[in-house]
Amino acid sequence: MSGVLTEADFEFELPAARPAGPMPLSLRGVSKAWDKGRVPVLNRVDLDLDAGDKVRIAGRNGVGKTTLMRIAAGLIDADRGEAAVWGTSAVASPERYQRLVSFLPAGDRGLYARLSVRRQLDFWARIAMVPRREVRARVEEAIEIFDLRELADRRVDRMSMGQRQRLRIAMTFMPHPDVLLLDEPLTSLDGEGAEILFAAIERVLDRGGALLWCSPAGERLDYEFDRTYMLDEGKLVRA
Amino acid sequence: MTAFGENLSAFYAVVRRDFHVFLSYRTRLVSQILTSIFSLTLFYYVSRLVRVEGFTTPDRYFGFVVVGIALVGVLYSCFAVSETIRQELVAGTFERLLLSPFGGVRGAVATMIFPLAYAFLMASVTLGLGVVIFGMELHWSTVPLALPALFLALLAFLPFGLFFCALTVATKQANIGASWVIALLSIVGGLYFPIALLPGWAQFAAEVQPFTPATELLRHLLVDAPMETSIGLGLVKIVVFAELLVPLALYALHRAIRLGQRRGTIIEY
Repeated sequence: MSGVLTEADFEFELPAARPAGPMPLSLRGVSKAWDKGRVPVLNRVDLDLDAGDKVRIAGRNGVGKTTLMRIAAGLIDADRGEAAVWGTSAVASPERYQRLVSFLPAGDRGLYARLSVRRQLDFWARIAMVPRREVRARVEEAIEIFDLRELADRRVDRMSMGQRQRLRIAMTFMPHPDVLLLDEPLTSLDGEGAEILFAAIERVLDRGGALLWCSPAGERLDYEFDRTYMLDEGKLVRA
Repeated sequence: MTAFGENLSAFYAVVRRDFHVFLSYRTRLVSQILTSIFSLTLFYYVSRLVRVEGFTTPDRYFGFVVVGIALVGVLYSCFAVSETIRQELVAGTFERLLLSPFGGVRGAVATMIFPLAYAFLMASVTLGLGVVIFGMELHWSTVPLALPALFLALLAFLPFGLFFCALTVATKQANIGASWVIALLSIVGGLYFPIALLPGWAQFAAEVQPFTPATELLRHLLVDAPMETSIGLGLVKIVVFAELLVPLALYALHRAIRLGQRRGTIIEY
């Protein structure tokens, strides 16, 4: 080796530059302990999602994935640290924050059993503060995209679990959020439902949105993520 | 689209939701009308059986008690909202309200609108049945004034419902002590008999809640019952109660939700 540096020596790939401004989703130093004085379920977790990012968090049952998602959604507070979307804090500006994120909680809850699909979608569109003149179009769009046409006038308590999940997903996408937080979204979905979901996610990402997906370790997924993290002992580890 | 317009749309959505859920239970209205008829029948014959001090005729007492029955339905509907919030916690729909820009506090307030409007309708039905079936005499010249008076009364009753909603969010149990409070307010508010018949301490309790002046004012406007104080003073009392209690109750609900979010217990039910 001559010791003389040539141009070729400088041809290495620089890490992708982070934008100077705030990120679509930023979790900073997030900690949460369910019992005070005991080991926290989340221990100073940092996570940034850039525009177009698809990130998955996996881990064992009960490891704290849902807790992290709930904090990211602004449903519960972290003991320390904070969640922000485009610099808007979940705790300090909850109303603005909720206009930017949309969270699909795990399970099958969050539906009014005696309302039809169409009424349910109309209700959540208005609660999500979708502009009044757009409500009807958004409802029809959700019915179309998530293939709910045949079910539109059916009451929720007369639907199967998979159909309910499709409705819950439709409700999550309807406000056109910047950040999608999906907690075990494939629960009860058939293959066709999963394909519809993946296509809907891609449309959000194409608009510059970001996805945080959470599911148990070992779940078989026919979907590519930009990054996958394992949550273990309160820390996120790149998988 | 203004924030006002968006909020209006969200409030409308909640009222429409409750209306459609109500319609899905087809026998509810009939059942409540029958209950109303049974109550009126009971008190019609009680008014014929018992001579009540301060009432010149049985019909005067019957008119007095019918207004009380109509109003207790309104009062009960305020407290019943905490049970609705409890059901929303269990169903996970309250969680979704929290995950919306509309939020939990506005969601809870909006949830009170349909039950109160319905209670108002049922109060009118009860009065109507009293007139049509039992020949009760309304003081028609002042009946229209009862509408704004009842609206003010609703504003004064609403904080009780909101306090119990806050309690439900905090404890996950609906109506802790609500039935006691309703029973107590029924007694000290002079629902079935004049408060003048109560002992001194109970008469003091009658002065420190909005139910008594609201009942007295509405009785005066609907059946021309005499008032202990002037109409103006009655109105002032209701407005003062509403002005003091509404912000306090909203703050209590906000704090209960925030406490649940800080502790993480908001997801429990």
